[in-house]
Amino acid sequence: MKGRPERGRIADQIRSELLKQRSTRANLGLSGAMLALVALAVLLHGYALPATALTRRSDQVSLLVGWGAVLGVVFAGLAGAISITAEVRHGTIRPTLIVTPRRSVVVAGKAGAAMATGARFGAAATTLAAATGCAVLAGRGFPVLLGGGDYAQLIAGGTAAGALWAMIGLGTGAIVRSQVPTLIGMTAWLLFVEGQLVGNLPSVGRYLPGALGQAVSGLDAGRPVSPWAAVALLGVHAAVVAYSSWLATSRRDFA
Amino acid sequence: MNHGPQMHGPVVAAVLLAALTVAVVWSMLALVRRAGRSAEAWPHDLAVRPAEPGLPAAPSERRSQEAAGATSSAPVLSAENLTKRYGALVAVDGLSFSLHRGSVIGFLGRNGAGKTTTLRLLLGLAHPTEGRALVFGGPYADLERPAQRVGAVLETDDFHPSRSGRDHLRVLALAAGLPAQRVEQVLEAVDLTASATRPVKTYSMGMRRRLGLAAALLGEPELLVLDEPANGLDPVGMRWLRTLLRDFADAGGTVLISSHVLAEVAQAVDRVLIIEQGRLVADAALDELATGSQTLEDAYLALTTGPAR
Repeated sequence: MKGRPERGRIADQIRSELLKQRSTRANLGLSGAMLALVALAVLLHGYALPATALTRRSDQVSLLVGWGAVLGVVFAGLAGAISITAEVRHGTIRPTLIVTPRRSVVVAGKAGAAMATGARFGAAATTLAAATGCAVLAGRGFPVLLGGGDYAQLIAGGTAAGALWAMIGLGTGAIVRSQVPTLIGMTAWLLFVEGQLVGNLPSVGRYLPGALGQAVSGLDAGRPVSPWAAVALLGVHAAVVAYSSWLATSRRDFA
Repeated sequence: MNHGPQMHGPVVAAVLLAALTVAVVWSMLALVRRAGRSAEAWPHDLAVRPAEPGLPAAPSERRSQEAAGATSSAPVLSAENLTKRYGALVAVDGLSFSLHRGSVIGFLGRNGAGKTTTLRLLLGLAHPTEGRALVFGGPYADLERPAQRVGAVLETDDFHPSRSGRDHLRVLALAAGLPAQRVEQVLEAVDLTASATRPVKTYSMGMRRRLGLAAALLGEPELLVLDEPANGLDPVGMRWLRTLLRDFADAGGTVLISSHVLAEVAQAVDRVLIIEQGRLVADAALDELATGSQTLEDAYLALTTGPAR
């Protein structure tokens, strides 16, 4: 019997993984929560911060990128993690591996689907942050100092960071497997641990994946990490986690 | 120089918000459409109505012809000194057997005897500590188109509770590269078409059993591996299952069915493997074990609780 080529198997697996995501409401719930938080954060900061903290271009970039990109990568990472931890939690990983016993194909299919979803999350979060931020600034009568290039970088960067962070989330989920510790750990890392490291050890903190996710969108303009370097470095993080997750998936048993 | 961006800020905000609104509305509409489809199917009764075993249960003619060729003499399943240890616990201890085509084999043992671990080793979900598990002569992961060679159900509830029965099968059919009509055929074969759009969390135990079997039958496999398939089935469902498995084996297929309930197995199997504390204690045809006044239960109890242990 002639087998399918590997590329065809991975394409089939990506289609299967995308249907898994579409056929439950988990991602819709995640994206709804993300958009609500982005709008809330930008509105609160946009109206609460004094004029002196919003009139410079760098302040305005911080307002938009800071919340759009951060929440975009947080939720993209969570969506990536859930794509494997939900399978372990509900036991669907067993039928998945019985139909596709080559675990490299399953991991590759999950990676492709997670990155597509993460890109959508990143794009949606940064687009909403830009729209809300511009509206708030205009509403308070401040001149908006951002140009088309800034918006393009914000949204393109958010999309790229979302895709790569979904891969990091998938890898983390594949290594940890248990859903709740994975999600709590990733959220704590992105919203707390990295913030501490960036604040207290900036020479190290700026190369961590959360900070790189923001640098891709243009937040880090004053630092030596350019957006392209940030994409490359974030890609290295994602590749390392992807390789670790493949090792963790290929060698360990599924109970 | 900043004049442009200053003027464009509200416009950009409006355009971006409009784009986002369109995306959100589109997503909500998709959700409502799906919810509507689910609601349509909601009023259907939850009763388990066993289906007549249908065509999809049998291995395809194409593979039956193939089976008559070079691979017909090779064991469908074999274990060679198969061993699995978890630290000090020996779950499977030097198991060796080989199973040939066209029969229903009962894999018997008490709870915790090592049946499920053995099935996981055969299907590549777990790696043996020693020995080998071979499916159609090689490791399970090396099979080309595994869904068209082996259908397996290991747990009663390996479903996402919010996913519909049809989507559960479509997910597996896509991964296996199978045509969409196979999903409808197997739904029909297990009598779940009317409930196919409902989330699995609304299914009864019997319906979940049938959905699991439908997934195993998707690729028209040659071998079925079923772990405790009769759990949760009522007498009518049991009879349906026995008929389905018999027809499957008569059409050239092989069934390995694990169970700890002897009565349900005695009526369905041709051959019996008995495992006790991870070791194989019997590998015989049913009529060799259950002879004269000795029932399968007598033989089983003698083998698993007798002085030999």
